[in-house]
Amino acid sequence: MWGIITRPTIEQRVRECLAGDLPEPEPVAVDPDSFCFAVFGDPQIHSDYHSSLDRFRQEVAQRGIDFFCVLGDLTNDATSDECDSIKLQLERVGIPYYVTIGNHDLFQADGWERFKEDYGPSCYPVAIADRIKLIFLDTADGTLGPAQFDWFESELADSRFTKIVLTHFPVFDGEKPIMWRLASDAERVKVQSLLERYGAYAWCAGHIHGLRHLQVDSVHHFTCGAMAPGTLDYGDPGYLLFTFAHDSLSWQFVELN
Amino acid sequence: MLAASGQAAVVSSVSLGYRGEPGVESKLLVAAQADIMPVAFLAVDAGLSLNLFQNNGLGAAALGIGTVVYKPVDLTIRLALQHQQWNDWRAGENRVLGTIEAGPGRRLDVGIGLIRRAPVFGDGYWSPFTLSAGAAEWNFLYRLRWKFLQRETWWLRAGFSSYDVYTAHNPQQFPLEADGAWRLNQYVEMVARVGTAIVGYSGGLVSFHEVEISAGVKYAF
Repeated sequence: MWGIITRPTIEQRVRECLAGDLPEPEPVAVDPDSFCFAVFGDPQIHSDYHSSLDRFRQEVAQRGIDFFCVLGDLTNDATSDECDSIKLQLERVGIPYYVTIGNHDLFQADGWERFKEDYGPSCYPVAIADRIKLIFLDTADGTLGPAQFDWFESELADSRFTKIVLTHFPVFDGEKPIMWRLASDAERVKVQSLLERYGAYAWCAGHIHGLRHLQVDSVHHFTCGAMAPGTLDYGDPGYLLFTFAHDSLSWQFVELN
Repeated sequence: MLAASGQAAVVSSVSLGYRGEPGVESKLLVAAQADIMPVAFLAVDAGLSLNLFQNNGLGAAALGIGTVVYKPVDLTIRLALQHQQWNDWRAGENRVLGTIEAGPGRRLDVGIGLIRRAPVFGDGYWSPFTLSAGAAEWNFLYRLRWKFLQRETWWLRAGFSSYDVYTAHNPQQFPLEADGAWRLNQYVEMVARVGTAIVGYSGGLVSFHEVEISAGVKYAF
Protein backbone atom coordinates (compact mmCIF):
# COMPACT_ATOMS: atom_id res chain seq x y z
CA MET A 1 0.00 0.00 0.00
CA TRP A 2 1.70 3.13 -1.16
CA GLY A 3 0.38 6.54 -0.17
CA ILE A 4 0.84 9.31 -2.69
CA ILE A 5 0.24 12.08 -0.18
CA THR A 6 2.95 12.57 2.41
CA ARG A 7 0.96 11.69 5.49
CA PRO A 8 1.22 8.51 7.52
CA THR A 9 -0.53 5.66 5.75
CA ILE A 10 -2.79 3.20 7.54
CA GLU A 11 0.15 0.80 7.79
CA GLN A 12 2.42 3.41 9.36
CA ARG A 13 -0.24 4.50 11.84
CA VAL A 14 -1.11 0.96 12.86
CA ARG A 15 2.52 -0.04 13.33
CA GLU A 16 2.98 2.99 15.55
CA CYS A 17 -0.10 2.04 17.57
CA LEU A 18 0.99 -1.57 17.96
CA ALA A 19 4.56 -0.68 18.90
CA GLY A 20 3.30 0.11 22.39
CA ASP A 21 4.79 3.59 22.62
CA LEU A 22 1.42 5.30 22.77
CA PRO A 23 -0.46 5.03 26.09
CA GLU A 24 -3.32 2.55 25.66
CA PRO A 25 -6.65 3.74 27.02
CA GLU A 26 -7.45 2.16 30.40
CA PRO A 27 -10.51 -0.03 31.04
CA VAL A 28 -13.36 1.86 32.65
CA ALA A 29 -14.49 0.71 36.11
CA VAL A 30 -18.16 -0.26 35.92
CA ASP A 31 -20.55 -2.51 37.84
CA PRO A 32 -19.70 -5.84 36.14
CA ASP A 33 -23.29 -7.04 36.40
CA SER A 34 -24.98 -3.99 35.01
CA PHE A 35 -23.58 -1.24 32.84
CA CYS A 36 -24.40 0.65 29.69
CA PHE A 37 -22.45 2.62 27.14
CA ALA A 38 -23.18 4.80 24.13
CA VAL A 39 -21.63 4.63 20.67
CA PHE A 40 -21.77 7.32 18.02
CA GLY A 41 -19.69 8.70 15.20
CA ASP A 42 -19.05 11.89 13.37
CA PRO A 43 -19.55 14.82 15.73
CA GLN A 44 -17.64 16.47 12.87
CA ILE A 45 -17.69 19.98 14.26
CA HIS A 46 -17.07 22.80 11.80
CA SER A 47 -15.66 26.25 12.39
CA ASP A 48 -18.84 27.19 14.29
CA TYR A 49 -17.98 24.46 16.82
CA HIS A 50 -21.61 23.34 16.98
CA SER A 51 -22.34 19.74 17.99
CA SER A 52 -25.03 17.63 19.61
CA LEU A 53 -22.84 16.83 22.60
CA ASP A 54 -24.63 19.20 24.99
CA ARG A 55 -27.85 17.35 24.23
CA PHE A 56 -26.01 14.04 24.65
CA ARG A 57 -24.79 15.14 28.08
CA GLN A 58 -28.42 15.30 29.24
CA GLU A 59 -28.88 11.72 28.02
CA VAL A 60 -25.89 10.59 30.02
CA ALA A 61 -27.41 11.94 33.19
CA GLN A 62 -30.92 10.62 32.48
CA ARG A 63 -29.90 7.12 31.46
CA GLY A 64 -26.91 6.63 33.71
CA ILE A 65 -24.55 5.94 30.82
CA ASP A 66 -21.20 4.73 32.13
CA PHE A 67 -18.98 5.66 29.18
CA PHE A 68 -19.15 6.38 25.47
CA CYS A 69 -17.25 5.59 22.26
CA VAL A 70 -16.72 7.99 19.36
CA LEU A 71 -16.13 6.45 15.93
CA GLY A 72 -14.04 9.10 14.23
CA ASP A 73 -14.59 12.29 12.26
CA LEU A 74 -14.37 14.32 15.43
CA THR A 75 -13.98 17.47 13.36
CA ASN A 76 -14.73 18.48 9.81
CA ASP A 77 -11.34 19.84 8.83
CA ALA A 78 -9.06 18.86 11.73
CA THR A 79 -7.90 22.44 12.23
CA SER A 80 -6.22 23.21 15.52
CA ASP A 81 -9.21 25.24 16.75
CA GLU A 82 -11.67 22.48 15.83
CA CYS A 83 -9.51 19.88 17.57
CA ASP A 84 -9.33 22.04 20.71
CA SER A 85 -13.08 22.53 20.68
CA ILE A 86 -14.09 18.89 20.25
CA LYS A 87 -11.65 17.77 22.91
CA LEU A 88 -13.21 20.28 25.31
CA GLN A 89 -16.74 19.23 24.38
CA LEU A 90 -15.97 15.53 24.86
CA GLU A 91 -14.42 16.24 28.26
CA ARG A 92 -17.46 18.30 29.26
CA VAL A 93 -19.76 15.29 28.85
CA GLY A 94 -18.24 14.28 32.15
CA ILE A 95 -17.78 10.50 31.82
CA PRO A 96 -14.96 8.35 30.42
CA TYR A 97 -14.81 7.92 26.66
CA TYR A 98 -12.89 6.12 23.93
CA VAL A 99 -12.10 7.44 20.48
CA THR A 100 -10.93 6.13 17.16
CA ILE A 101 -9.98 8.04 14.06
CA GLY A 102 -11.92 8.99 10.92
CA ASN A 103 -10.96 10.27 7.51
CA HIS A 104 -11.77 13.91 8.37
CA ASP A 105 -9.38 13.75 11.31
CA LEU A 106 -6.56 13.42 8.78
CA PHE A 107 -7.49 16.38 6.61
CA GLN A 108 -4.58 18.44 7.90
CA ALA A 109 -0.98 17.42 7.41
CA ASP A 110 -0.51 17.13 11.18
CA GLY A 111 -3.85 15.33 11.70
CA TRP A 112 -2.34 12.09 12.92
CA GLU A 113 0.13 13.85 15.23
CA ARG A 114 -2.71 15.84 16.74
CA PHE A 115 -4.99 12.82 17.12
CA LYS A 116 -2.48 10.66 18.96
CA GLU A 117 -1.44 13.58 21.15
CA ASP A 118 -5.08 14.10 22.21
CA TYR A 119 -6.36 10.52 22.33
CA GLY A 120 -3.49 8.02 21.94
CA PRO A 121 -3.65 5.09 19.54
CA SER A 122 -6.28 4.68 16.84
CA CYS A 123 -6.41 0.88 17.13
CA TYR A 124 -6.47 -0.83 20.51
CA PRO A 125 -8.50 -3.27 22.61
CA VAL A 126 -10.30 -2.48 25.85
CA ALA A 127 -11.85 -5.15 28.10
CA ILE A 128 -14.81 -3.89 30.09
CA ALA A 129 -15.53 -5.66 33.39
CA ASP A 130 -14.07 -8.91 32.01
CA ARG A 131 -17.28 -9.22 30.02
CA ILE A 132 -16.94 -7.31 26.80
CA LYS A 133 -13.96 -6.62 24.64
CA LEU A 134 -14.13 -3.45 22.57
CA ILE A 135 -11.81 -3.64 19.57
CA PHE A 136 -11.12 -0.23 18.11
CA LEU A 137 -9.86 -0.25 14.52
CA ASP A 138 -8.31 2.46 12.37
CA THR A 139 -10.18 2.50 9.05
CA ALA A 140 -9.70 6.18 8.29
CA ASP A 141 -8.30 5.27 4.85
CA GLY A 142 -11.21 2.93 4.07
CA THR A 143 -9.06 -0.15 4.56
CA LEU A 144 -7.41 -2.12 7.39
CA GLY A 145 -3.98 -2.86 5.99
CA PRO A 146 -1.82 -5.97 6.59
CA ALA A 147 -0.57 -5.27 10.12
CA GLN A 148 -4.00 -4.36 11.43
CA PHE A 149 -5.62 -7.39 9.78
CA ASP A 150 -3.21 -9.73 11.58
CA TRP A 151 -3.67 -7.92 14.89
CA PHE A 152 -7.45 -7.81 14.43
CA GLU A 153 -7.65 -11.57 13.96
CA SER A 154 -5.56 -12.20 17.06
CA GLU A 155 -7.85 -9.93 19.11
CA LEU A 156 -10.96 -11.61 17.73
CA ALA A 157 -9.55 -15.04 18.58
CA ASP A 158 -9.75 -14.22 22.31
CA SER A 159 -12.74 -16.32 23.29
CA ARG A 160 -13.18 -14.97 26.84
CA PHE A 161 -15.30 -11.98 25.87
CA THR A 162 -18.27 -10.79 23.89
CA LYS A 163 -16.52 -8.83 21.15
CA ILE A 164 -17.64 -5.54 19.62
CA VAL A 165 -15.65 -3.86 16.85
CA LEU A 166 -15.72 -0.07 16.76
CA THR A 167 -14.36 1.84 13.80
CA HIS A 168 -15.10 4.52 11.25
CA PHE A 169 -15.97 2.74 8.00
CA PRO A 170 -18.97 0.42 7.72
CA VAL A 171 -18.62 -2.93 6.00
CA PHE A 172 -22.28 -2.99 5.00
CA ASP A 173 -24.85 -0.24 5.13
CA GLY A 174 -28.10 -0.57 3.25
CA GLU A 175 -28.58 -1.08 -0.45
CA LYS A 176 -27.99 2.38 -1.93
CA PRO A 177 -25.17 2.84 -4.45
CA ILE A 178 -22.85 4.88 -2.27
CA MET A 179 -19.09 4.90 -1.86
CA TRP A 180 -18.84 5.20 1.90
CA ARG A 181 -18.19 1.59 2.76
CA LEU A 182 -14.97 -0.36 3.34
CA ALA A 183 -12.91 -0.63 0.19
CA SER A 184 -12.84 -3.88 -1.72
CA ASP A 185 -15.14 -6.87 -2.07
CA ALA A 186 -12.39 -9.20 -0.94
CA GLU A 187 -11.64 -7.10 2.14
CA ARG A 188 -15.30 -6.88 3.09
CA VAL A 189 -15.94 -10.59 2.80
CA LYS A 190 -12.73 -11.37 4.67
CA VAL A 191 -13.78 -9.07 7.51
CA GLN A 192 -17.24 -10.63 7.68
CA SER A 193 -15.73 -14.09 7.54
CA LEU A 194 -13.46 -13.30 10.53
CA LEU A 195 -16.34 -11.80 12.49
CA GLU A 196 -18.35 -14.94 11.88
CA ARG A 197 -15.55 -17.35 12.60
CA TYR A 198 -14.70 -15.81 15.96
CA GLY A 199 -18.26 -15.07 17.01
CA ALA A 200 -18.06 -11.28 17.12
CA TYR A 201 -21.24 -9.63 18.31
CA ALA A 202 -21.16 -6.46 16.26
CA TRP A 203 -19.32 -4.12 13.90
CA CYS A 204 -20.13 -0.51 14.82
CA ALA A 205 -19.22 2.21 12.34
CA GLY A 206 -19.75 5.85 11.57
CA HIS A 207 -18.81 7.67 8.36
CA ILE A 208 -22.35 7.55 7.00
CA HIS A 209 -24.47 10.01 8.95
CA GLY A 210 -27.43 8.04 10.19
CA LEU A 211 -28.53 5.15 12.36
CA ARG A 212 -28.95 1.80 10.66
CA HIS A 213 -28.89 -1.83 11.69
CA LEU A 214 -28.26 -4.84 9.46
CA GLN A 215 -27.73 -8.39 10.55
CA VAL A 216 -25.47 -10.43 8.31
CA ASP A 217 -25.66 -14.03 9.48
CA SER A 218 -24.96 -13.79 13.22
CA VAL A 219 -23.14 -10.44 13.19
CA HIS A 220 -24.86 -7.12 13.86
CA HIS A 221 -23.71 -4.27 11.63
CA PHE A 222 -24.51 -0.82 13.00
CA THR A 223 -24.04 2.52 11.36
CA CYS A 224 -24.10 5.17 14.05
CA GLY A 225 -22.62 8.29 12.51
CA ALA A 226 -25.56 10.35 13.65
CA MET A 227 -23.96 13.20 15.58
CA ALA A 228 -23.01 15.35 12.62
CA PRO A 229 -24.39 18.89 12.60
CA GLY A 230 -26.84 19.80 9.87
CA THR A 231 -28.62 17.33 7.66
CA LEU A 232 -27.86 13.66 8.12
CA ASP A 233 -27.66 11.14 5.31
CA TYR A 234 -30.83 9.67 6.77
CA GLY A 235 -32.83 9.78 10.00
CA ASP A 236 -32.28 11.94 13.04
CA PRO A 237 -29.24 12.62 15.24
CA GLY A 238 -28.71 9.98 17.87
CA TYR A 239 -26.56 7.23 19.25
CA LEU A 240 -26.45 3.49 19.82
CA LEU A 241 -26.92 2.42 23.43
CA PHE A 242 -25.59 -0.94 24.61
CA THR A 243 -26.84 -2.31 27.92
CA PHE A 244 -25.27 -5.23 29.73
CA ALA A 245 -27.48 -6.76 32.41
CA HIS A 246 -28.34 -10.26 33.64
CA ASP A 247 -25.38 -11.66 31.68
CA SER A 248 -26.92 -10.44 28.47
CA LEU A 249 -26.10 -7.65 26.03
CA SER A 250 -28.87 -5.66 24.36
CA TRP A 251 -28.94 -2.57 22.17
CA GLN A 252 -31.22 0.23 21.08
CA PHE A 253 -31.01 3.35 18.95
CA VAL A 254 -31.73 6.55 20.82
CA GLU A 255 -32.73 9.60 18.80
CA LEU A 256 -31.87 12.97 20.23
CA ASN A 257 -34.93 14.91 19.07
CA MET B 1 -9.05 -7.29 -31.64
CA LEU B 2 -9.72 -10.66 -33.22
CA ALA B 3 -13.38 -10.86 -32.31
CA ALA B 4 -14.06 -7.17 -32.56
CA SER B 5 -12.72 -7.06 -36.07
CA GLY B 6 -15.39 -9.48 -37.14
CA GLN B 7 -12.84 -12.02 -38.29
CA ALA B 8 -14.10 -14.74 -35.99
CA ALA B 9 -17.32 -16.07 -34.57
CA VAL B 10 -15.59 -17.73 -31.61
CA VAL B 11 -12.59 -16.47 -29.68
CA SER B 12 -11.21 -18.47 -26.79
CA SER B 13 -8.61 -17.27 -24.36
CA VAL B 14 -6.57 -18.52 -21.45
CA SER B 15 -4.54 -16.40 -19.09
CA LEU B 16 -2.34 -16.63 -16.05
CA GLY B 17 -2.35 -13.82 -13.56
CA TYR B 18 -1.75 -12.58 -10.05
CA ARG B 19 -3.94 -10.61 -7.70
CA GLY B 20 -2.61 -9.05 -4.52
CA GLU B 21 -4.30 -6.83 -2.00
CA PRO B 22 -2.27 -5.89 1.11
CA GLY B 23 -3.46 -7.78 4.15
CA VAL B 24 -6.36 -9.33 2.29
CA GLU B 25 -5.21 -11.84 -0.30
CA SER B 26 -2.38 -12.83 -2.58
CA LYS B 27 -3.12 -15.44 -5.21
CA LEU B 28 -2.46 -16.70 -8.70
CA LEU B 29 -5.32 -16.72 -11.18
CA VAL B 30 -5.85 -19.10 -14.05
CA ALA B 31 -8.71 -18.07 -16.31
CA ALA B 32 -10.36 -19.39 -19.43
CA GLN B 33 -12.95 -17.55 -21.46
CA ALA B 34 -14.93 -17.95 -24.65
CA ASP B 35 -16.49 -15.11 -26.66
CA ILE B 36 -19.07 -16.26 -29.16
CA MET B 37 -20.88 -14.25 -31.82
CA PRO B 38 -23.64 -16.57 -33.05
CA VAL B 39 -25.07 -13.77 -35.19
CA ALA B 40 -23.73 -10.38 -36.14
CA PHE B 41 -25.57 -8.34 -33.51
CA LEU B 42 -25.24 -10.74 -30.57
CA ALA B 43 -22.25 -11.57 -28.38
CA VAL B 44 -22.12 -14.16 -25.63
CA ASP B 45 -19.20 -14.60 -23.27
CA ALA B 46 -18.55 -17.16 -20.57
CA GLY B 47 -15.57 -17.80 -18.36
CA LEU B 48 -14.11 -19.54 -15.35
CA SER B 49 -11.30 -18.40 -13.11
CA LEU B 50 -9.37 -20.56 -10.65
CA ASN B 51 -7.40 -19.42 -7.59
CA LEU B 52 -4.05 -20.87 -6.62
CA PHE B 53 -2.11 -20.50 -3.34
CA GLN B 54 -4.94 -18.75 -1.50
CA ASN B 55 -8.65 -19.47 -1.54
CA ASN B 56 -7.74 -22.41 -3.75
CA GLY B 57 -10.19 -23.75 -6.28
CA LEU B 58 -12.90 -22.11 -8.25
CA GLY B 59 -12.61 -18.35 -7.86
CA ALA B 60 -15.12 -16.94 -10.28
CA ALA B 61 -17.55 -17.79 -13.01
CA ALA B 62 -19.23 -15.43 -15.43
CA LEU B 63 -21.80 -15.43 -18.18
CA GLY B 64 -22.72 -12.42 -20.29
CA ILE B 65 -24.84 -11.56 -23.28
CA GLY B 66 -24.74 -8.36 -25.29
CA THR B 67 -26.59 -7.01 -28.25
CA VAL B 68 -25.65 -4.13 -30.52
CA VAL B 69 -28.52 -1.66 -30.69
CA TYR B 70 -26.88 1.12 -32.74
CA LYS B 71 -24.14 0.02 -35.08
CA PRO B 72 -22.49 3.38 -35.97
CA VAL B 73 -21.04 3.67 -32.44
CA ASP B 74 -21.36 0.00 -31.53
CA LEU B 75 -23.82 0.90 -28.79
CA THR B 76 -24.29 -2.33 -26.89
CA ILE B 77 -26.63 -3.32 -24.13
CA ARG B 78 -25.10 -6.02 -21.99
CA LEU B 79 -26.40 -8.21 -19.20
CA ALA B 80 -24.03 -10.36 -17.19
CA LEU B 81 -24.01 -12.71 -14.22
CA GLN B 82 -20.95 -13.09 -12.04
CA HIS B 83 -20.23 -15.44 -9.20
CA GLN B 84 -17.06 -14.98 -7.18
CA GLN B 85 -16.02 -17.06 -4.18
CA TRP B 86 -13.33 -17.23 -1.54
CA ASN B 87 -13.16 -20.82 -0.35
CA ASP B 88 -10.92 -20.31 2.69
CA TRP B 89 -13.32 -17.70 4.04
CA ARG B 90 -16.49 -19.61 3.11
CA ALA B 91 -17.73 -16.50 1.36
CA GLY B 92 -19.05 -15.71 -2.07
CA GLU B 93 -20.72 -12.93 -3.98
CA ASN B 94 -23.29 -13.10 -6.73
CA ARG B 95 -23.80 -10.20 -9.09
CA VAL B 96 -26.09 -9.14 -11.87
CA LEU B 97 -24.72 -6.40 -14.08
CA GLY B 98 -26.52 -4.33 -16.67
CA THR B 99 -24.42 -2.00 -18.79
CA ILE B 100 -24.61 0.23 -21.83
CA GLU B 101 -21.33 0.33 -23.69
CA ALA B 102 -20.07 2.10 -26.78
CA GLY B 103 -16.95 1.94 -28.86
CA PRO B 104 -14.25 1.68 -29.62
CA GLY B 105 -14.79 4.82 -31.62
CA ARG B 106 -11.92 7.23 -32.05
CA ARG B 107 -10.04 4.68 -29.94
CA LEU B 108 -12.30 5.31 -26.94
CA ASP B 109 -14.64 2.86 -25.34
CA VAL B 110 -17.07 3.87 -22.64
CA GLY B 111 -19.61 2.16 -20.46
CA ILE B 112 -22.01 2.85 -17.63
CA GLY B 113 -24.22 0.52 -15.73
CA LEU B 114 -25.74 -0.77 -12.55
CA ILE B 115 -24.92 -3.84 -10.52
CA ARG B 116 -26.78 -5.76 -7.87
CA ARG B 117 -24.31 -7.54 -5.60
CA ALA B 118 -25.24 -10.08 -2.95
CA PRO B 119 -22.50 -11.37 -0.64
CA VAL B 120 -23.19 -14.87 0.69
CA PHE B 121 -21.53 -16.35 3.76
CA GLY B 122 -21.31 -19.77 5.39
CA ASP B 123 -23.23 -22.74 4.04
CA GLY B 124 -24.14 -22.21 0.44
CA TYR B 125 -21.53 -19.54 -0.25
CA TRP B 126 -20.65 -21.42 -3.42
CA SER B 127 -24.14 -21.18 -4.85
CA PRO B 128 -24.55 -18.71 -7.71
CA PHE B 129 -28.30 -18.46 -7.19
CA THR B 130 -28.58 -16.30 -4.05
CA LEU B 131 -29.38 -12.68 -4.83
CA SER B 132 -31.14 -11.48 -1.69
CA ALA B 133 -28.66 -12.07 1.16
CA GLY B 134 -28.71 -9.70 4.15
CA ALA B 135 -25.99 -7.42 2.82
CA ALA B 136 -27.04 -7.04 -0.81
CA GLU B 137 -26.54 -3.61 -2.38
CA TRP B 138 -26.64 -1.66 -5.62
CA ASN B 139 -23.58 0.00 -7.13
CA PHE B 140 -22.91 2.07 -10.24
CA LEU B 141 -20.50 0.88 -12.90
CA TYR B 142 -18.37 2.98 -15.21
CA ARG B 143 -15.70 2.61 -17.84
CA LEU B 144 -13.55 4.90 -19.98
CA ARG B 145 -10.57 3.49 -21.83
CA TRP B 146 -8.39 4.97 -24.55
CA LYS B 147 -6.43 2.97 -27.07
CA PHE B 148 -3.59 5.44 -27.24
CA LEU B 149 -1.36 3.40 -29.51
CA GLN B 150 -2.59 1.27 -32.37
CA ARG B 151 -0.48 -0.33 -35.05
CA GLU B 152 -1.21 -3.06 -37.55
CA THR B 153 -0.35 -5.93 -35.24
CA TRP B 154 -0.46 -4.44 -31.74
CA TRP B 155 -2.14 -1.88 -29.53
CA LEU B 156 -1.93 -0.37 -26.05
CA ARG B 157 -4.83 0.98 -24.02
CA ALA B 158 -5.20 2.75 -20.68
CA GLY B 159 -8.04 4.05 -18.60
CA PHE B 160 -10.39 3.01 -15.87
CA SER B 161 -13.09 0.43 -15.66
CA SER B 162 -14.95 -0.55 -12.51
CA TYR B 163 -15.92 -3.92 -13.97
CA ASP B 164 -14.61 -6.72 -16.10
CA VAL B 165 -15.66 -10.28 -16.85
CA TYR B 166 -15.15 -11.65 -13.33
CA THR B 167 -15.11 -8.69 -10.98
CA ALA B 168 -16.85 -5.45 -10.15
CA HIS B 169 -15.14 -2.91 -7.94
CA ASN B 170 -16.84 -1.18 -5.06
CA PRO B 171 -17.45 2.57 -5.37
CA GLN B 172 -14.84 3.20 -2.66
CA GLN B 173 -12.21 1.96 -5.10
CA PHE B 174 -11.18 3.90 -8.19
CA PRO B 175 -9.68 1.39 -10.62
CA LEU B 176 -6.96 2.14 -13.15
CA GLU B 177 -5.72 -0.23 -15.82
CA ALA B 178 -3.57 -0.62 -18.87
CA ASP B 179 -3.69 -3.46 -21.34
CA GLY B 180 -2.45 -4.40 -24.74
CA ALA B 181 -2.40 -7.04 -27.42
CA TRP B 182 0.00 -8.32 -30.04
CA ARG B 183 -1.37 -10.31 -32.97
CA LEU B 184 0.93 -13.14 -33.96
CA ASN B 185 -1.09 -14.29 -36.95
CA GLN B 186 -4.62 -14.43 -38.26
CA TYR B 187 -5.75 -16.65 -35.39
CA VAL B 188 -3.53 -15.98 -32.41
CA GLU B 189 -3.10 -12.91 -30.24
CA MET B 190 -1.07 -12.39 -27.07
CA VAL B 191 -2.73 -10.19 -24.45
CA ALA B 192 -1.60 -8.62 -21.18
CA ARG B 193 -3.15 -6.41 -18.56
CA VAL B 194 -2.11 -4.58 -15.39
CA GLY B 195 -4.56 -2.96 -13.02
CA THR B 196 -4.72 -1.30 -9.64
CA ALA B 197 -7.26 0.53 -7.54
CA ILE B 198 -7.01 3.73 -5.56
CA VAL B 199 -8.75 3.83 -2.20
CA GLY B 200 -9.15 6.41 0.48
CA TYR B 201 -9.88 9.34 -1.77
CA SER B 202 -12.82 10.27 0.42
CA GLY B 203 -10.32 10.86 3.19
CA GLY B 204 -7.82 12.86 1.22
CA LEU B 205 -5.39 10.03 1.83
CA VAL B 206 -5.03 8.34 -1.49
CA SER B 207 -3.27 5.00 -1.77
CA PHE B 208 -2.92 2.23 -4.33
CA HIS B 209 -4.65 -0.69 -2.77
CA GLU B 210 -4.37 -3.70 -5.03
CA VAL B 211 -2.52 -4.97 -8.03
CA GLU B 212 -3.63 -7.33 -10.74
CA ILE B 213 -1.47 -8.53 -13.59
CA SER B 214 -2.26 -11.11 -16.21
CA ALA B 215 -0.97 -12.38 -19.52
CA GLY B 216 -2.48 -14.85 -21.90
CA VAL B 217 -3.29 -15.93 -25.38
CA LYS B 218 -6.42 -15.62 -27.52
CA TYR B 219 -7.23 -18.03 -30.29
CA ALA B 220 -9.84 -17.33 -32.94
CA PHE B 221 -11.75 -20.13 -34.63
